[in-house]
Parts: sequence; C-alpha cells; structure tokens
Amino acid sequence: MTARSLESGAPARERAASPSLWSRIWQNHAPGYLFLLPWLIGFFGLTIGPIVTSFYLSFTDFDLLTSPDWVGANNYVRMFTADPKFWASMRVTVIFVIFSVPLKLAFALAVALLLNRGMRGLPLYRALFYLPSLLGASVAIAILWRQIFARDGLVNDFLSVFGIAGPSWISNPQYSLWTIIILAVWQFGSPMIIFLAGLRQIPQDMYEAASLDGAGKWRQFIKITLPLLTPVVFFNAIIQTIEAFKSFTPAFIISGGTGNPINSTLFYTLYLYQEAFGFFRMGYASALAWVLLALVGMFTAFSFLTSKYWVHYDE
Amino acid sequence: MTVRIDRRKFLMGTTALVAAGAAGVMPAWAQASSLRLTFWGGQARADRTYGVTDLYKAAKGTDVEGEFLAWNDYWPKLATQTAGGNAPDIIQMDYRYIVEYAKRNAIAPLDEFVGGVLDLSNFDADQLEGGKVDGKLYGISLGANSVAMLINTAAFEEAGIEAPTNAWTYDDLIAIGEAFKTANIRGGMKAIMDGSYSEPMLDNWLRQRGKALYTAEGKLGFDEADAVEWYAMWAKLREAGVCVPAEDQALDTGPLETTMLVSGKAAMIPSNSNQLVGFQAIVQDKLAMVGYPRIAAGVGGGHYRKPSMFFSVAGSSANKEAAAEFLNFFISDPEAVKVLGVERGIPCIAASRDVVAPTLDEQSQIALNFVANLGDLLGPLPPSPPAAAGEISESLLRTLGQEVGFGAKSPEQAGGELITGANDILGRV
Repeated sequence: MTARSLESGAPARERAASPSLWSRIWQNHAPGYLFLLPWLIGFFGLTIGPIVTSFYLSFTDFDLLTSPDWVGANNYVRMFTADPKFWASMRVTVIFVIFSVPLKLAFALAVALLLNRGMRGLPLYRALFYLPSLLGASVAIAILWRQIFARDGLVNDFLSVFGIAGPSWISNPQYSLWTIIILAVWQFGSPMIIFLAGLRQIPQDMYEAASLDGAGKWRQFIKITLPLLTPVVFFNAIIQTIEAFKSFTPAFIISGGTGNPINSTLFYTLYLYQEAFGFFRMGYASALAWVLLALVGMFTAFSFLTSKYWVHYDE
Repeated sequence: MTVRIDRRKFLMGTTALVAAGAAGVMPAWAQASSLRLTFWGGQARADRTYGVTDLYKAAKGTDVEGEFLAWNDYWPKLATQTAGGNAPDIIQMDYRYIVEYAKRNAIAPLDEFVGGVLDLSNFDADQLEGGKVDGKLYGISLGANSVAMLINTAAFEEAGIEAPTNAWTYDDLIAIGEAFKTANIRGGMKAIMDGSYSEPMLDNWLRQRGKALYTAEGKLGFDEADAVEWYAMWAKLREAGVCVPAEDQALDTGPLETTMLVSGKAAMIPSNSNQLVGFQAIVQDKLAMVGYPRIAAGVGGGHYRKPSMFFSVAGSSANKEAAAEFLNFFISDPEAVKVLGVERGIPCIAASRDVVAPTLDEQSQIALNFVANLGDLLGPLPPSPPAAAGEISESLLRTLGQEVGFGAKSPEQAGGELITGANDILGRV
C-alpha cells in the first residue's frame, strides 16, 4: 500500500492520513535505523543486556560455576546490616570523593587561569598539562607512584634535604589513601581544558568595564569570572564526582588488588571486584554495583536540584 | 598475559587460511589436532611449558596452544571461561580449587583413561591420592613440593652469621634476628619477612602443635588461644626487629618482585620448594632453602609433600582423551621431563626423577634434595581446604596481621576476630 503511494509520485504530506503513521515513519527512517543497527546491537547486547542481567543477578547467589538461585533481597540486607567491609570501602570512597574532587577542580581552575593570560606557546603548555590525564589511569603511572612514595622514593629523598625521615607513604595506612588522592588531583587535565574553554567565553569588555570602575584582579575574579563560569564548574563537578566514585585502577595497581594496608585503599569498586572475581560472588557484587549506581544517581539528582541556587546561566 | 600466537604468526595463519579457502582446500581441523592449555606462572614456567608443547607437536602432530597468566588474574579468567562453556581443554589446577571445580563438573574425572592413554602405574601413590576428589581422579600432580624457607646465603655471609639448618627453631630465629640487627648490613636488612599473615607459615606452626588450619569437615582446626599466641609471637618478633616492620611488609602485594627477599629487606622468606627456581631467576645473591622453623627443638610434622599443582581436563572439553594423552606425555616423556626440570615440583614418577636429576642446575638440585630429605619434618597430607580458604587467607588473615603490625589491634583482639571472622566466612559460602 505504501509502496503504491510512493509510486504514484504524489507528495506524501497530502496523503498524511491514508497510510498508517507507523508505516510512514518506517518508510522515512528505515535507512537511518539500518545505519544505526550496529550501534543498536551493541547498545542492547553489550550495555542494556548486561545491566538488566546484573539487576536480576543481584537477587541471586550466582557464583559463575553453578546456576544462580534466587535469594530475594538477601544481598542488599547483608550489605547494610552485616558487612563491615562494605562500610569500610564506602568510607574510603567517600573520603576520596570529598577530597579529590574539590582539590582537583581548584587546581584545574588555577592552571586554566594561568594559561588564559595569552602566553606564548600556549598549545604546548596545554598539551603538557593535559598529559597526566591521558597517562593517569594507566598501569605505568600507578607503578611509578609506588616508587615515588616508597620509603626510599623521590618524596622522601626530597624531605631528607630538610632532615625529615619520611615514612613509606604508600604502605602506611595513615597516608596511603592520600597518595591516591594526590594522584587523582594530578590528573587535572580534562577539567582544566574545559575551564579554559569556559574562560574564553567570558567577554573581555566586562573586565574592561570592571577595571574602569576600579575593581582589582581578585574582585574581578569573584564578581565576573566565577559567576560566569558556574555552568562549567557545575559540569566539571558532576563529571569528576562520578569519575571519582568509579575510580578503580590506581588503587588496584598500587595495592596489588588487595586494598592494603588494612583496607585503607579498599575503594568501593575494588571491593566489588574482589567479591566478583576474587571470591566469585557475582550476585553480591551485582548488588554492590546497583547500590553504587543508586548512590551516584542520588548525588547527581541532588546536584541538579541545588544547581539553580548557584549556577548562573546567561539568560 | 601472553597468548602464544603473536601478530605476525596470526597474520601468516589467516593469510594461509584465506589462500587455502580460495584454493578450495579447507584446512583439516580435525577436532583432536588442536588442544588449548592454560596455566598460571611466570616467563620461566612458560618457556619450559612451551618447550614441551613444541616437542609434542613434533612427536604427535597435535598443536597445543598455551596461554599463561599471573595467579591473581588466572582464576577470574578461568571461572569466566568455565561459566561461558569455553574453558581450555587442559587446565592447571590448584589444591585450593580442585574440589570446587570437580564438584561442579567443571573438570572431568580421568579414571576412564588410566591404563589407556594415561599410564600411572609408576606414579607416586601419595601424589595420585592428592588429585582425587570423592575417590575419582580429577587432577594429575605435576610435581611434589613442600613449603620451604628461602635463604639469601650471600646476606648471611656478609653479616657473618651461620645459615640455619632443618633443625632450627623459632628461638634460633630470634638469635639470628638479633645477629642481623648487630651486623646492620644493606641498610638494616632484617632476618625474615613478617610472616604473621602468611597462611602456610601459620599452617605449619599449627601442625607442629598438633592442630590444623582446617579439619577434614572444612571447619577451623584451631582456636582463639592458638591465634592469640600466634599474633603475640609475631608482635614480639616485630618489636625486637627480627622481622621487617609492618610498613615494609605491606609493600609485598603478592608477585615475586614485591617480596621482601627480592626487595632486599629481609634475608629469609617463607615460600615453596619449587619457587626457588623462580626467585633465583630475579635475585642476584645465591639462594638456598631450609625447613620452616620448629616450635621447639626436635618437634616435627609441620611439613608435607603436597602436589604443587595439577593438570586437569575441562568438563566441557570435546577432546578429553587427546588431552589425557598430552598429560601422559607431559609427565613421562624423557625429553619433556628434562625440559620441565623441577620448576613445577619434583616429578612424581621415579623414572622421570632419574632422567631429571643429572640435568639439574645447582638451585634445582637443592630443591630436589630438600623435598627428598624432609625427614622428621614430614607429616601427613592434610585434607584439601574448604572453598572459602582463599578468602580467609587473602582478606581476613592479611588484614588482621596488618592491624596488629600497625598497632591498630592487640594480639588478643586479632586472635578473637580471626576465629569469629573465619567462622563467619566458612558459614557464608
């Protein structure tokens, strides 16, 4: 029927009512969907499929080798009532998020401001400062970190100049998490690039007007730069917080997958990994994953709700 | 993480395949002409293993494709492959996991091939027994080994201290520790690593006291008093500077390179007899081995000759008989046995031992002699550990040991928590 209507050569709009709406959409968009097919297969097969499966598995005792048995909400109940390691890993991750994200953003903004002064060779500096972000999640850097913060590492060599004998930062439960926070802050490249782009959007005449009115640099920063930059700050904060909650590689490599010493670097994701691939509790690990998703979701929703009080959009 | 097919070989292979396809000749991929093999270990083990697969290819024309991973990465991958019904035909198996895999039919019983392609008539009885689950043979032991204290002999010489012998005790350990402190070599090298969360060392210590880590029923074989005494003893050793401080020990995350022996912070570490070869490959100083210390002079029975590892055949394998045939070659062919040496432990067939002995280098000879001459250190083979043993060792024992080490918990607290925590994990599974 639709084929005939096309053959007749009449403009489709005039016949809007005659063929069913759906078949018309199909006619118009079939090639589009065809081109999308590889992505759709990937999305449903490799993303949605596993997500749904993991939700189901979170209510089972699946151990990879035997078929899963339904255990109801047991996994979730255990997590909140009888698993001190769950809380320990939650604590480590929350401390990591609370300290690494603001520090990283502040650092990224400071460097972006520095680079925004129209210096010579800017592309080179930009690339150099971005480099850690590319390398940061790599295994090599995590191993390097082990060396730098070891007892006879670079940091202690430096401290010994001042007569301080530093501890083995990486293997001391009091400091080990901080070495990973520093590693995260060091990877300030991607928020920096975004800040830099944001700074370029701020009209120069605002600064000119402000300096005519006698506002100093600091005042200009507080009154002009920061308010106009809040959408970018908001974006960066959300992205970086989600990244921080998901952080896995540095702790995994630096602690050799153990979360040592005394679970001081047992990130939530690392605990999840241990439960899943160390002890084969896929059901419990799936439940852990869903709790993490809920947590990140709640945080993001909260950020969006509060954003209207501090994020300024142009209009 | 090395698959043996490199890119060039792969390209050549696929090109040949396409060419063959174009010529209308499909390659003859008979089912049994290719086997997959997976094992954990380092490069030294891989080289030896691939030496044997090359020999096998030359002798029988069967390709055995190997893949090896580090211990920590091996088990997740194997479990995932098994769950996906895609496990390799031949699987290197450990005492810790064999029951679990056997009970779930993830590995196949080999009894039907014994006497056929698999000739075990001269196989050591105790090693054969070690590979059985519920009376059926699920794993072929690739070598006998024992726990052993690895000793950096160069460090002992440098410090002017006499190296211990199999007769040594924990009191001797303290004396050696004091001597190392006085000698103060290599920036304050300690006598021994912190063994308070070494599962084999605790096991050995308990066995000498007539206890065990686990009973045959899979319950804890010791009580709170034992655990408290254990932690108190190590607290004393730590305080006296006999063992390395907690901060150093925490750098040891498992791989050989991070151990106190390789990093040069301690002159001795508890390990296994077959690992001498692996350690010697990455340590300059000459290494030797003795038994673990005795709790008092003359007390023995802590050690046992255990199967260092097995080869098992996957339950899902379509080529079980071909796999069993390869296993037979692996343990008994004289050339294969020579290539393998004692890197996986002492061969379990007398004829293989005789073939190997003259070809061994000094280090391998030490390992062979050590396992052959355990004397009164030798006790009975313990039952295979419960499935949760790995978790108890890796999460509970280690964390508690570190907590005592860093002074966050007293030996009394840690001892109590070890018992309750272990029972909790055992009851959970």
